Amino acid sequence: MSNYILECKDLTKTFGRVKAIDNVTLSIPQGCIVGLLGPNASGKTTLIKLCNELLTPTSGEIYIAGLKPGVETKKLVSYLPERTYLNDWMKVADIINFFSDFYADFNKEKAYDMLKRLNLNPGDRLKTMSKGTKEKIQLILVMSREARLYLLDEPIGGVDPAARDYILQTILGNYDQSATIIISTHLISDIETILEHVIFLKEGRVVLYKTVDEIREESGKSVDSLFREVFKC
Amino acid sequence: MLGKLLKYEFKATARLFLPLYLALLAFALINRFISPFKVFEPSTALLDLQMLISLLSIFIYFALIVGVIAMTVIIMIRRFYTSLLGDEGYLMFTLPVKPWQHIVSKLITAMAWTTLSFLVTVGSIVIIAGEPGLAVQLKEFIVAFQEIFGVAGYYILPGYALAAMASNILMIYAAIALGHLFSKQKLIATFAMYCVLYIVSQLLIILIFVPFVLPFMRFLINPATPAPGQINSLLLLFLLPIVILGAGYFILTNMILKFKLNLE
Repeated sequence: MSNYILECKDLTKTFGRVKAIDNVTLSIPQGCIVGLLGPNASGKTTLIKLCNELLTPTSGEIYIAGLKPGVETKKLVSYLPERTYLNDWMKVADIINFFSDFYADFNKEKAYDMLKRLNLNPGDRLKTMSKGTKEKIQLILVMSREARLYLLDEPIGGVDPAARDYILQTILGNYDQSATIIISTHLISDIETILEHVIFLKEGRVVLYKTVDEIREESGKSVDSLFREVFKC
Repeated sequence: MLGKLLKYEFKATARLFLPLYLALLAFALINRFISPFKVFEPSTALLDLQMLISLLSIFIYFALIVGVIAMTVIIMIRRFYTSLLGDEGYLMFTLPVKPWQHIVSKLITAMAWTTLSFLVTVGSIVIIAGEPGLAVQLKEFIVAFQEIFGVAGYYILPGYALAAMASNILMIYAAIALGHLFSKQKLIATFAMYCVLYIVSQLLIILIFVPFVLPFMRFLINPATPAPGQINSLLLLFLLPIVILGAGYFILTNMILKFKLNLE
């Protein structure tokens, strides 16, 4: 096993003429919480989708725990997409069974426990749920896995501020310290306190990759104010 | 993993097909009891409510048959397109499953429902016809079948039907996968790709047949009833291009899902 959970080498992804990811080289170690930050259309979602093999790179390479994306890496990665992927016809209990059928690392008890705490009924149909509730269900599914790498794309974008705190607690309370979490968002102030590493993405390029401590020591600024400075319009 | 995929694929589709099958069989039974087809025979005296009900039940029955056929095709396409290349694809392609397993699970499910749709439709006709001595007729049918196709026909004809079904479904999958390669106008591209694949496959079938044209013509012109062996060897000959094409579509679809997937 490689020391790095995620490595990108000269990774490029173009859509037509637009370079969504432009020659990105990154190495993210195991056991940390990383903020993938950038304005809209900076390539955050594209990068995460490349890691999940939902997009095919134009050039360059990706390694997850030293492996190229494939069946073996999908066993290690728990992914929360920015959209809902749930089948409308299923009940919450059905989708939990689905996850526990396919993922060996899925912890059913954990899932039911989280459902209870969020007052969600396992017998409810997904069809009847609001977008925010579906997002909560997806987060529960994703965090109930005991994965090596969590890729969370905008986990707090669609929910109200009151639920945000709970979701952040859920994320923090449900992962093994040796696992890595990568959270993409532009709501920096909400998650700044939990981040250990920060990546700034701008027009598909990594403009900064530092630990939060380094940022504070070197610039004396919070991540939020540094972000505003770097991405000033 | 393939078993699990199949389990969920059947669950996802059964809830659509089973009610429709039930409705079709129920209306076949209703038609059987009010025998609307016979109402037309005794003249105009009954041109009233009974006539109306009869017409209505015949209409609903045929609408259900059309519904079953249409649903079989639409669900086959939708289950591949939306569940793999739509939003649900975000879930399906992050499962620790290989792309070929996805294709096979969709294919087996689609073939099973196509077969069932056929059997249920035939069954509903049998219910309406409801002739006494059905068992005797079935026996006669089997005897006639054996005379034409021989004992080998029991394997060759269903085998041929299944291979042709698989090949046609895989052609649709390949067209959808090829359409997915286009960044714009995917739907039009998919339709165009289907036309291209269709033409290419027909050309290939003709090419394969060129060397056999003469014996084939002789076979058609020959006034004597062909022996079962002749019919079966002709079916096997037809089977060759179908299997080659089906395998080609499968490999093509798998390559695209494996190396060219771009869910946007």
